[in-house]
Formats: sequence, structure tokens, C-alpha cells
Amino acid sequence: MGKKLMVEEHVGELLSGFIDGELTQREQQRVRLHCEACEACNMELQELRSLRQRVGDARLSDVGQDLWRETMNDTTVRTTRGTGWLLFIGGLLVAVGFGVYELVSSDSSMSLVEKLVVGGVYGGLLLIFISVLRQRLIERKSDKYKDVEI
Amino acid sequence: MTEPIKTDEMRHELLNLGGGAYALAVQILGNAEDAADAVHDALAAALGRPGIYDAQKGPVKPWFLRMVRNRSIDLLRRRRSTSDRVEELADAAPGPAEAAEAADDERILNLALAALESDQRQIIVLRDYMDLTYAEIAAVLDIAKGTVMSRLHRARIALRNAYREHDG
Repeated sequence: MGKKLMVEEHVGELLSGFIDGELTQREQQRVRLHCEACEACNMELQELRSLRQRVGDARLSDVGQDLWRETMNDTTVRTTRGTGWLLFIGGLLVAVGFGVYELVSSDSSMSLVEKLVVGGVYGGLLLIFISVLRQRLIERKSDKYKDVEI
Repeated sequence: MTEPIKTDEMRHELLNLGGGAYALAVQILGNAEDAADAVHDALAAALGRPGIYDAQKGPVKPWFLRMVRNRSIDLLRRRRSTSDRVEELADAAPGPAEAAEAADDERILNLALAALESDQRQIIVLRDYMDLTYAEIAAVLDIAKGTVMSRLHRARIALRNAYREHDG
């Protein structure tokens, strides 16, 4: 009767704790005794152990620490990122300044209509850029993970 | 009182964690390229500003993995298009196998993993692949330590069932 009761009360999640060595001595003893009497739980224990071994041996990551070491130590990557942004924003400012000068300059050979069309296209692009930038800044500000990330 | 960690030690530990962190990110994002970005960003943030780590709040490992996880979730949230996620995840397993049988076994395992929920994949990678303790897993996933065992067990049962399905 005692054995039957023990078998009926399957140990469930304690099997995982048993495999991982996260149980108290008393719980370990309970699982051990139960598995000796319960074929289903014993089989489950073996299956889960085997699967844990498979996951542990699997090559879930094809990149080792060397890659991260190389990447993080790559000064080219670090410097080019900052320089890239600097050049982009600098170039954009010069282009906008030159465009505005061309549009308002009396020396320009462009007619008023041409100036309006060109001004409209570039003005539109600038507005889209500002809109995207603003959206990104808002996303960054309202990101609930920002405190964790940086 | 916990000793403040030296930057060199932290650098060494973080770089050693890179591979495991990448595996975790792949399980969340289902995309090798995005996963590499997430880990790279987290490494750059952690190594660029080591002062953001507070040794009083716990060890480096769960702190960094949590950072990688949050970055991955952030990327996923932005990407949204996950229609081909499962297929990519199954293909995320690397390179040539040394033996045909082992390769097949690993392919089945990856297919089975891909069939699980993201939370289940994460907890399995953290425990069975990276060998984190339940306390560390709780810190990474931001859940109570008492719930780790039940979640992990459910994930393992789901993985076993999925494995059987693909193996059969």
C-alpha cells in the first residue's frame, strides 16, 4: 500500500531539481526512493538526463571567445564607427548649407520654379531624416530596458 | 562585503561568456546575425563602461547575460517579422559534423529546440548549455528562484516531446 501510494504521487519537477543537484537531501532521498519504485518516473529521469547531456554537448554556438576578443579589440571597428557618424553629420551640414546658399544666392542660374522643386525635394528628405531621428530618440528614451543596457 | 571586480578580470570573464551569450541570443532572436549584434552591443557597453556593473548586486555572469537577453528582446521587438524564425533557428546550428550520426542528432535537437517557446529555449540554454545555477537563472530571467525548477521542468518535457516527434 505504502509503495503504491508513493508511486501514485509522482515527483514531477523534482526530477529536474534532482538532475541539477538543486534539491535538499530530504528531497533527493524522496526522488531516489520514488524512482526505484516507479518505472515511469525512472524512465523520465533517464530521458531527461540524456537530453540534458545532448544539449550540453551540442554546438549551439559556432563562435568562440576568440571572435569576441578579436572584434572587441579591433580598433578599426571602434574608430570607424565614430568617424563614420562624424563624417556623415558633417557632410550633411555642409550639403544643407551649400544647398541653402545656392537657393537664395542671386548668382544662381536656376529659375524660381527650379529652386522651389529642388528645395522641396531636399527639404522633404531633411524632414524625413529628422522624423526618423526623432522617432529613434523617443524609442530610446522610452525603452524600459535602457537602465539595464547602459 | 563583495570585492569590487577589476576591469581586466571582468574583461576576461565577459569574453569567455561570449559563446554562451551568443547561443542564448540565437534562441531568442532565431537569427545568427542579429544574435551576434546583440552580444557585440552588450560587450561594447559593458567593456566601454565597466563602472555600470555593481558588484554588490551579484556576479558578472548573470548580469551580463541579462543584458544580452534584454538587448535581444529589444532587437526582436523592433524587428517583429518572425515568420521564418523557426526555420532560421533550426539552421542556426553550425557547420560540418564530424560524424553523420552526431550531425543528425544535433539537427534533431535544433529542430526540437526551435519548436519550443522562446522562454523555454532560453531556460534550457541557460541551464543545460551554460550550466548556470537556479539562482543565476532567476537573476538572468528576472523571475523568482522558486519558479526556476518548475519552468525548467516544463521546458525539458516540451523539449523531450518535440525531440521524440522529430526523431520518429
